Amino acid sequence: MRRRASLVLLALAVFCAALAPLLRWYAYPRLAKIPPGQYQEMVLEAKDATLLDYAGGMQPKKVDKVTIVQTLKGNVEASREVEADAGKDVVVWDTLTYIIGPDGKMVSRIPERYLFDAHTQDPVHATGEMVDGDPVKREGIEFKWPFFTEPRDYLYFDAQTRTSSPIHYVGPRTYRGMEVYCFEQTVPWTKVPMPKKMPIEGIDPATIEQTTGTTLWYTVKARFWVDPVTGAPVNAEQDIQQEMRGGIAAGAPDGRLTAFAGHVTIRPDYAKYTFDLVASNRTKVLALHTYAPAGLAAAGLALLAAALWLEARGRRREDGVSA
Amino acid sequence: MRALVAAAIGLAAALALVLAVTAFGAPEGKTSPKPLLTTAPAAPGK
Repeated sequence: MRRRASLVLLALAVFCAALAPLLRWYAYPRLAKIPPGQYQEMVLEAKDATLLDYAGGMQPKKVDKVTIVQTLKGNVEASREVEADAGKDVVVWDTLTYIIGPDGKMVSRIPERYLFDAHTQDPVHATGEMVDGDPVKREGIEFKWPFFTEPRDYLYFDAQTRTSSPIHYVGPRTYRGMEVYCFEQTVPWTKVPMPKKMPIEGIDPATIEQTTGTTLWYTVKARFWVDPVTGAPVNAEQDIQQEMRGGIAAGAPDGRLTAFAGHVTIRPDYAKYTFDLVASNRTKVLALHTYAPAGLAAAGLALLAAALWLEARGRRREDGVSA
Repeated sequence: MRALVAAAIGLAAALALVLAVTAFGAPEGKTSPKPLLTTAPAAPGK
């Protein structure tokens, strides 16, 4: 009877010992990925911001609040089409950044299509990749860092300039009790395309530069606090400035009109919601990557020890009986 | 000999489990019917 029990324990020990590395090095790389059908919303606010009053004499004015609503929507059908060509798991996010003034009216809207490898978050290029209708070819990351983010600089895509530049690793931080990495990117004053939708009556944003000589300039200092396990930002802050120069801004001091200037932060309820979501996903990733393999390895060793002990005890008894 | 058979059973079971789980993979899901938002929700998910 003891012999049979020790054999069962031995089988279980091998099962656990084999499962531990298989989970960590075979299953985890295949299972840890961004789901293609993800839907996520985020609300950010810039309090006491400066906003160009398009309807009231084209002068910058202080406003209580500008709201930015950002939605990410995974397009599963488009993912399948791209995957067929790319031969790997691809996520296609259709996103909309919708900016709302204090009166509730649209200030600007920027749609994007972002394609990336579901496992590594490396960009994938296919027809349809765009920012505000302009075809782009992203380098680096956008919105999310890779799983198990490293404490180093990354290339980060800025949708306004349509270019990628380094986002610097600043150091570790503690955010709501979670150990996170802080990254910072500064985009210097850069001429950017006019948004396709602007709240200016009678002016076509597509031809405003050619017809009036007005150009749009932008600078940002962005900071992200990123959970290194999931690579998901848990907090973000941006100091954004936009100016119109020349043309309709020619009469302003230095020929510059502030279109927007503000410190953008996540609305507190969304900050908590995002943190809770990331914390939950962090536990799932760690379970597959660390907790389960380590637990199974320990269980395998314990079961093997128990099997050997039972076997040795059984043999001693047999020796005693035969003697 | 019986010990070897027991170890082989444990190894085969582990391989079968991992291969089955990775073959099924995570569910693909569907594109959400929710729209891209043009108003700020009163609360997350509302």
